[in-house]
Amino acid sequence: MSIVLFRVDERLLHGQVVIGWGNQLRPDRYLVVDEKLTVSGWEQDLYRLGAAGTEVQFVTPRVAREKLDFWRLDATRSILLTKEISAMGCLAEGGLLAGEKVNLGGIHHGPGRAEFLTYLHLTEDDISELEKLEAEGVEVTARDLPDTHRVNMKTLLKGKWKYS
Amino acid sequence: MRTRIKSGALTAVFMRSFLVQGSWNYHTMLGSGFAFAMLPGLRSLYQDDEDKLEEPLERHSEHFNAHPYLTGIALGASLRLEADGAGAETVRSFKTAVRGPLGSLGDSLVWATWLPGISVLALAIYWLGLPGSWSALVFLLVFNAGHLGLRIWGFRVGYSEGRDVGRKLKVVDLSGLTARLRRVAVLFLGLLVGVLLGAEGGLASAGLLWGLLSVAGFAVGLLAGHYAWRPAATTLVVSIVLLTTWGLLR
Repeated sequence: MSIVLFRVDERLLHGQVVIGWGNQLRPDRYLVVDEKLTVSGWEQDLYRLGAAGTEVQFVTPRVAREKLDFWRLDATRSILLTKEISAMGCLAEGGLLAGEKVNLGGIHHGPGRAEFLTYLHLTEDDISELEKLEAEGVEVTARDLPDTHRVNMKTLLKGKWKYS
Repeated sequence: MRTRIKSGALTAVFMRSFLVQGSWNYHTMLGSGFAFAMLPGLRSLYQDDEDKLEEPLERHSEHFNAHPYLTGIALGASLRLEADGAGAETVRSFKTAVRGPLGSLGDSLVWATWLPGISVLALAIYWLGLPGSWSALVFLLVFNAGHLGLRIWGFRVGYSEGRDVGRKLKVVDLSGLTARLRRVAVLFLGLLVGVLLGAEGGLASAGLLWGLLSVAGFAVGLLAGHYAWRPAATTLVVSIVLLTTWGLLR
């Protein structure tokens, strides 16, 4: 088990991930699964700055699906990150992530997004993506930092629902 | 397409960058502060055409977060992008990508290194026996020389590099600078410990019992402090409160 964390966080590599989770899980590398970032050198430069020297690999969801088993067996400890729930959903399709835990980190306020937790603002599409993830056998929980309270899907979706 | 922004407008954006946290909130964090700072630059670009201003202003009010001292990098680079006529999507992607590193680089450079380092220097100066006003003056001058220098440098480098500022920041190596500054800060800490032990009214005159207790406390903090910073911080605050109350009642 060498993918030590699957996380959805629109900020990808930032303090909470690199310091909060990184200090706890000690990853050797970050795997960023994102279609657009693989072809954007300047964006990769910026995200790498946030990784404090740890290796960062940018891959498309398609490549990630092929490499998933290799990463799992690899001795290198990885944290796998996506910006959107849909990208994680794409990875999970066909039961590829069955039995895994997916952590929801930060998705911030924006148009059409409702607040479920202070760090989690979801659209209706996000919610159906989450339900799809669960149907693929993935255990979804929300937790911004390793030392904060873990919220499971059921509790999460019962939360506040208000457009603002 | 490259439009020039008037130098007066650039100065105004820089001055406004000091107020970027002025309307901090959980929804957009620095969002509205960022838009407020961008406004003179956008006005200069769109020649006060209110209709054209609306869209970029709204774009820059969206969620943004970074270290306040390094926000100038993002402001400068966003102005460059707007002046070059980069699309809304590029501006958004840039700001999304840059906020993480600007936050963590700034936190470790300023809050975890520069501020404690210069505070320790100022304390050492006090315990050397110099007047308290000197110590305060040294703190304010040295800390702010670094603070203002960082802000000015950041804004300029952002404006000149635009979206490729990441490459420049990698060359400059702010985390390497942080590591070097940290060594200097540790040197100051050594100096402080030395004068604290030797100075009049310092540990030397506290007596054996208190001396041993403080050495034991130091050892516990050194070995276990990072496991339990919350209890440690609570203990510190509670003991300061108790000692102050005791001092006032005596």
